[in-house]
Amino acid sequence: MVNLIEELVLLTIDDDGSVAFTAGGSGFRMSAIGACLVELNNAGRIDADLDAVHVLSQEPVGHAAVDRVLALVAAGPEKPVSQWVRQLAPISGEIVRLALGSLAQRGILSQQESRFLWVLKSRRYPLIDGAEQKEAKLRILSTLLSNDLPTPHDTVLLGLARVGGVLEGFLSTAEIARLDDRIENIGGIDLIAKGVEMALRDEQEQIARSFLAPIC
Amino acid sequence: MNVTFETATAATVARPQGRLDFGAAAGLQQQLEEVIAQKPVALVVDCAQLEYVSSAGLRVFLVAARAAKAASIPFIACGLQASVREVFDVSGFTRILEIHADTAAALAHLGTPAA
Repeated sequence: MVNLIEELVLLTIDDDGSVAFTAGGSGFRMSAIGACLVELNNAGRIDADLDAVHVLSQEPVGHAAVDRVLALVAAGPEKPVSQWVRQLAPISGEIVRLALGSLAQRGILSQQESRFLWVLKSRRYPLIDGAEQKEAKLRILSTLLSNDLPTPHDTVLLGLARVGGVLEGFLSTAEIARLDDRIENIGGIDLIAKGVEMALRDEQEQIARSFLAPIC
Repeated sequence: MNVTFETATAATVARPQGRLDFGAAAGLQQQLEEVIAQKPVALVVDCAQLEYVSSAGLRVFLVAARAAKAASIPFIACGLQASVREVFDVSGFTRILEIHADTAAALAHLGTPAA
């Protein structure tokens, strides 16, 4: 099974193996941390509410990127999702590298010099335990073009992809505008994903306020 | 977590009590999915005695709502306490879920007066 941080990273890999420039932005860095927090929540290592992330267990889940975030959250005082996301965003590069390493180890990507190429040229995941998992980009498109409610995994993936600036990699500006209501309504309907949105907004507001600081 | 179920003509009403956190989420999800599998006329989740919902607990509502929609079963949440309502508002659930003040209002919306 390809997990959330891996799928988020895969969405940034272009067909020619280059990484989308949006992966270098604040939004993506924060989304990467958020993806790990959601994985930890799903695995019962943390739970979250409006006030804080609560550590339930420090037992590693067995994925290097996710466990890195677990170790840091477990070592610190309790604080809201948005604060954790902002605090850990600087290590997102390490998180992404660990996720890429995991994908390469499992034969989904192969690293060739500075590019990460899909092993299966048609952007498919290899069968895992005989089960096929539909690729993230296809699932996002399917979610956006239907009227169904998405799975919790897909709603978080869509929300994090939106905050991370990843949707622009495979949807045109016009398509995003046309689907804006759908994206807004079902993307990120999740407390942790909303925490990531808040973190980015808080950072942007802080920067904007600094523009208005008096020049002495 | 304790959950009671009341099956009436027009809806099955689930009443979870206490805290819906990671520890309680799987159990409530299973119970709601079992009710949905029985194809009730509608499913109302009366949250009047639900004191707390975490991120894990919130996903139970999405899973249940999704399953209900797939089965064409109306799904309504009602009686949200202020703190739970805030969680639903912040997370965006109020955009995708039918929410009413209480079971009577939910049943009235479904077209049936409360017993």
